[in-house]
Amino acid sequence: MVKEMLTVEQLSAILIILPFLAAIVCYLIRVSGVRSIVILITGGVLITSAVLLIPLTPFSLSPQPFFGVSIHVIVQALDFLLLLIILYFGFKHRHIVIKALALFQIIFLLYFEFFLIQDKPDTSTLYCDHLTLVMVLIVSIVGSLICFQAIPYMKNHEEHLRLKRSRQHQFFFVMMLFLSAMNGLVLSNDMLIFYFFFELTTLCSFLLIAHDGTKEAIKNAVRALWMNSLGGGAFILALVGIYRETGTLELQQIINSGNIGTGVYLLSLALLCFAAFTKSAQFPFQSWLLGAMVAPTPVSALLHSSTMVKVGVYLVLRLSPVMRETFLSQSVALIGAFTFLAAAALAVGQSNGKKVLAYSTISNLGLIFACAGLNTPESIVAGMLLLVFHAIIKALLFLCVGAIEQHIASRDIEDMRGLYADMPLTALMTVMGVIMMIMPPFGILLGKWMAMEAAASNLYVIIMIALGSSLTVMYWARWAGTLMSDPFAGRFKPERQPFLTWGALGSLCAGAGLLSTAAPWLYIQMIVPALSRAYLPPYTTQNGILENPYGAFAVFPLSLVAVLGFVVAILAVKRAAKARVVKPYLSGLQVAEPGVFTGPMNQLVKAEAQNYYLSSIFGEKKLTTWINLGAGVLLTLMVGGAL
Amino acid sequence: MIDTAIFIGIGLVVGPLLGGLVSGLDRILTARLQSRIGPPLWQPFYDVIKLWNKEKTVVNVWQAFCAYCYVAAASIALVLFFLRSDLLLILFIQAVGAVFLVVGALSSTSPFSQVGAHRELLQILSYEPLLILVTIGVFLETGSFKIERIYSWNEPLLMKLPFLFVVLGYALIIKLRKSPFDLSTSHHAHQELVKGLLTDYSGPILALTEIGHWYEVVLFLGFCSLFWATNWIGMIAIVVITYFLEVLIDNVSARLNWRWMLGYAWTMGLTLSMVNLVWLYAS
Amino acid sequence: MIKWLIQKSRIKSPWLLHYDCSSCNGCDIEILACLNPVYDIERFGIINVGNPMHADILLVTGAVNHRNKKVLLNLFEQMPDPKVVVAIGSCALSGGIFREAYNVLGGVDKVIPVDVYVPGCPAKPEAIIDGVVLGLQKFSQKRVEEKSYAGRGDLRQF
Repeated sequence: MVKEMLTVEQLSAILIILPFLAAIVCYLIRVSGVRSIVILITGGVLITSAVLLIPLTPFSLSPQPFFGVSIHVIVQALDFLLLLIILYFGFKHRHIVIKALALFQIIFLLYFEFFLIQDKPDTSTLYCDHLTLVMVLIVSIVGSLICFQAIPYMKNHEEHLRLKRSRQHQFFFVMMLFLSAMNGLVLSNDMLIFYFFFELTTLCSFLLIAHDGTKEAIKNAVRALWMNSLGGGAFILALVGIYRETGTLELQQIINSGNIGTGVYLLSLALLCFAAFTKSAQFPFQSWLLGAMVAPTPVSALLHSSTMVKVGVYLVLRLSPVMRETFLSQSVALIGAFTFLAAAALAVGQSNGKKVLAYSTISNLGLIFACAGLNTPESIVAGMLLLVFHAIIKALLFLCVGAIEQHIASRDIEDMRGLYADMPLTALMTVMGVIMMIMPPFGILLGKWMAMEAAASNLYVIIMIALGSSLTVMYWARWAGTLMSDPFAGRFKPERQPFLTWGALGSLCAGAGLLSTAAPWLYIQMIVPALSRAYLPPYTTQNGILENPYGAFAVFPLSLVAVLGFVVAILAVKRAAKARVVKPYLSGLQVAEPGVFTGPMNQLVKAEAQNYYLSSIFGEKKLTTWINLGAGVLLTLMVGGAL
Repeated sequence: MIDTAIFIGIGLVVGPLLGGLVSGLDRILTARLQSRIGPPLWQPFYDVIKLWNKEKTVVNVWQAFCAYCYVAAASIALVLFFLRSDLLLILFIQAVGAVFLVVGALSSTSPFSQVGAHRELLQILSYEPLLILVTIGVFLETGSFKIERIYSWNEPLLMKLPFLFVVLGYALIIKLRKSPFDLSTSHHAHQELVKGLLTDYSGPILALTEIGHWYEVVLFLGFCSLFWATNWIGMIAIVVITYFLEVLIDNVSARLNWRWMLGYAWTMGLTLSMVNLVWLYAS
Repeated sequence: MIKWLIQKSRIKSPWLLHYDCSSCNGCDIEILACLNPVYDIERFGIINVGNPMHADILLVTGAVNHRNKKVLLNLFEQMPDPKVVVAIGSCALSGGIFREAYNVLGGVDKVIPVDVYVPGCPAKPEAIIDGVVLGLQKFSQKRVEEKSYAGRGDLRQF
């Protein structure tokens, strides 16, 4: 009944405009209780609206003029306002690149709007197919859960910093605004509206990274701003090129008209890929994402792992049908695979937990780019699966690290050694998150398996993916083991955390697990309809086994066996809890206190161990220059090859 | 349905029995190469039964969890192999077990376990890309990842994939814990970090890790048998000869360090793989 | 039937831990001599594991003093039951010629219960093997719940 009551216009309006209104309310009303209620209600409504959108997809609509002013004019005006704000920040922080890029974009936008574009027929401004729907669901559900967790997190954060005046109104204003921008971006069909929301997410990212106001935060925020503006500049150039070649700015029309093949057109597509790479922090643009880790953890979870960085991969996945069998597509695959390998290698050498997560994000995004670049039905399915699962699980991991960081006041993995003794449930959820990142039958491994099978004929790509995959296992397994490195686990007593924290973490963890088991359902309901008409569904799903002529992944049977195995193993733990506890082997010199042994002159010595970070091979300083060089070469190849 | 169940049963039961026999043969062969007589053939079974009936002592209860997960993963991988499923999937499932073994070892704070666990991680890092590339090579030649198809290929794979077989041999040395790459833990005569990864396991839990290792041995020997799947004699010959070579290499070499292992596996392994893959790709 | 299997497995697969308390290494060299290919005790399934958590039989040499009694106790406790202790050489039996020294407590049985005593200075490899075999018979009889009994073991006369 409710389904019939709400139309697509109303739902789209709710998804895009409601968070904006909530943002304004959060900014104006500075009472924390009211703000929490507003956030909770907004989140709930967003989740409901996104779910209600499921049976209504696909659809396209053109919003009616708003008080007589067409949507295009409103967006145009807001776009200029936005670019002027960015220019203002460029002046405020005296950063020449930002000023130059903002001016560049303003000039090109003016040229575009007033000289190039002729009439605008009544076109479909918003379009929602299943890929968009998947993104809307991610933004609404995962985004709302992160905002829920941000409520107790920011309260704690500000107590920690001993702020006299709370700045949470600014924080939640930008967070809600960001949710609105993301929904608008994925729903938009008109490239200019897409561009507006693209730049809006850049601004939100800048504001949120700079939130704490420290020198380091501002420096990193400025770096994020100029790198993302670089992407924006490339984007507007690409739009000019595409309009000149195809005469339309509608994404669906562009996709349906296929590859025109002219140099300018391919160059514009290459520039769009370039913009996607800057947004998704691929090499050599990764430093902004690493610097963005100084922001409060909900920001890292929302923007820099689940949603904003997904904009780049979303764009390339959308455009992949147009790029079929071009050199551009192959070079995107190479760059993606190279990033996957390089970021995994750099993560091995990191001991800062958030940086490991950042590199892992860059790595997985590289893998999705590689899938999009390979441009076969299997690889596109793989890319979408990775998109979904990575968003959920990375958000979970970031929120866990946020909770851990607030408890132990450190982000270093070495300080999380034996965390199980202190925070058992959080440690377990982090370990669950790590397991879901690297192991079958969970979603990410399913996507990786599909990607490998799809990449098998592409020699360079498969070698890089194989190497990157093994490096991935190394840094995750190391972290999981370090968390559990407690001499004896006694009775399980969960630590106290705010209800919203447990709610968010628990939902994300359970959601990822259930969705992994339901992967065949996800495939049929969401991914197959999202494949463009050019592709046939590559897999059959009989008995819950995803199968094609040359490979099979038994999702349901393996999930069943995994659950069984888990139950058996937990029973074994219960039995082991009654066993006799002995100290770890320290050559017989151990004393009653755990981890201490009798040393020379009968002095007590604490036995210490540290993880291998292999910084002589995988050190950040050592590798980054070379990797950036390599990435620069590949990028030049991509853009140049388009000509 | 019925034959699926039969295959699962066979895989679960025959796997460790075969693995134990192979381990026993391994020890006898090693002893004979060293001018000794060596233990009886059933020795590994005596070891496991004895361990199973020891008192259960733990350093950390999660060791029990990890040991069970290791056995589960290894046995599921072997069962899937018997069911002739997807080779890449089998590799990934086997990797689950290896990771759990590492996490279980890291859960003890003794430096022996910790260093052993990190060495095991480096071992995984060394052999996993090689195994993936071998699987890709098999795919490029036979056009399928499914073992059913690979077994029914009408030409012995060794003909077209000789270098990849050598690469598989490298991965096997590391996986079967043979010198020169037995850094993290090895059979008892070659101890370095006491027992490395398995130092703080004892009693029934140690028995589980041993059984898990048997499953893995059978799985990897099965992997070898794919390379001459056209007739039974060839299959048995290739498995026997490969295993004999592994034991021989174990007895004539000393242990190397992780830099050597990683460097050797990645440079030699990748070069040989690339040569073979390019050859396959071009033809 | 199961009991028979368990007993047989225990006899067939004894894993040793060798600890030298403060021995002159004479007995230790003889123990190591047992492990070399001439005697080849691996044909009995015996392996020298260096880890108490894997071991069934603890071979102790040397006299116990205040420093190493803690280590000996630690190692003994880390060994899972059932276990057997074999004291080798006169120093391990009673302190040997060092019995009157100011830092020496005496033999191994001052700290942990011993099952088999193998005298000699040093004990011959054949005697050590005999002692281990006697210990094996005791090992196969023990139940897991039964803590290794504290008391006097057999004394083999040579």
